[in-house]
Amino acid sequence: MKQLSLALALLAATALSAERAETVDKAPPGGKYQAVSALVPLPDFIPGLGQLYVDPATLPAGPFLAYDRDGALVSTIFMIPVEDLNPDKKFDDLAAPGGDVDHVDIYFNAGHPGVEMPHAHVVMWHVPADGEARVAK
Amino acid sequence: MKPTRRDVLWTGGGFVFAFPFARFQARAEDSIEIVMRGDADGSRVWFDPLGIRIAPGQTLTWVNRDKGNAHTSTAYCPEIDGRPRRIPAAAEPWDSGYLLPDARFSVTFTEPGVYDYYCVPHEHAGMVGRIVVGDAGEADWESVASDGGLEPLPEVALTNFPSVADILRDGLVRPPVR
Repeated sequence: MKQLSLALALLAATALSAERAETVDKAPPGGKYQAVSALVPLPDFIPGLGQLYVDPATLPAGPFLAYDRDGALVSTIFMIPVEDLNPDKKFDDLAAPGGDVDHVDIYFNAGHPGVEMPHAHVVMWHVPADGEARVAK
Repeated sequence: MKPTRRDVLWTGGGFVFAFPFARFQARAEDSIEIVMRGDADGSRVWFDPLGIRIAPGQTLTWVNRDKGNAHTSTAYCPEIDGRPRRIPAAAEPWDSGYLLPDARFSVTFTEPGVYDYYCVPHEHAGMVGRIVVGDAGEADWESVASDGGLEPLPEVALTNFPSVADILRDGLVRPPVR
């Protein structure tokens, strides 16, 4: 009986996980995510990142979901203001709905509409390094 | 100085005067471009040129050549977001609003003096510029004792302005090559 309950629980968890993954795997993602270009004055497609979607309630950190020109998810991005990297500020329990992470890039960004201060881009790529070319331009 | 209507074009074009102003006198009717640029990953952003000297009556056109970002050209003054006045007292302020890639914005300057301006989303990254119109030896707004409680400029912006002396001497101050 215990084994059956465990099996059912695992099956339910897998179904939920699959449903979450399916929701964000393709653009436009479901739920509260909106195109960044519809929220702030930025291009629909940002070279180096792709088409971005975010839940506005999670700004500035995100997660931002980034898609290639075919609408396939390539990365999940967090944007952390430099001034918030201090002992008094934490970013806990940020959602990470994009699935497996192949590699991570972290770099400084001077700012842009939506996050108008210097911040760090934490880019979790869901594709191999050579897959970054899918959003290069 | 009167701000012209915002001219938004989605294709490139326009004249780029790369020559120092002291050696090349542009005709009054020619517009001089100031390009908004950024690194591919957005780590650095800048106006090119940083500083420029023009004659009264000349027009400057800001054009965004940064494919992945939006920029503004915004005068420092109390009328725009409550900032300290850093344009001549008799001059009219301007604000381009967010310019997407390849968009343009022009202003014709008629009042002599020193004009400081910035990019709204990138002020805290030091994206500022300075214009000298005519033979202005110093900025009339520098005689103001304090910012009067207005939002001050961040240190990174203050340190990025080219000096008026350098602009008067060279006509054009370009950003450093990296």
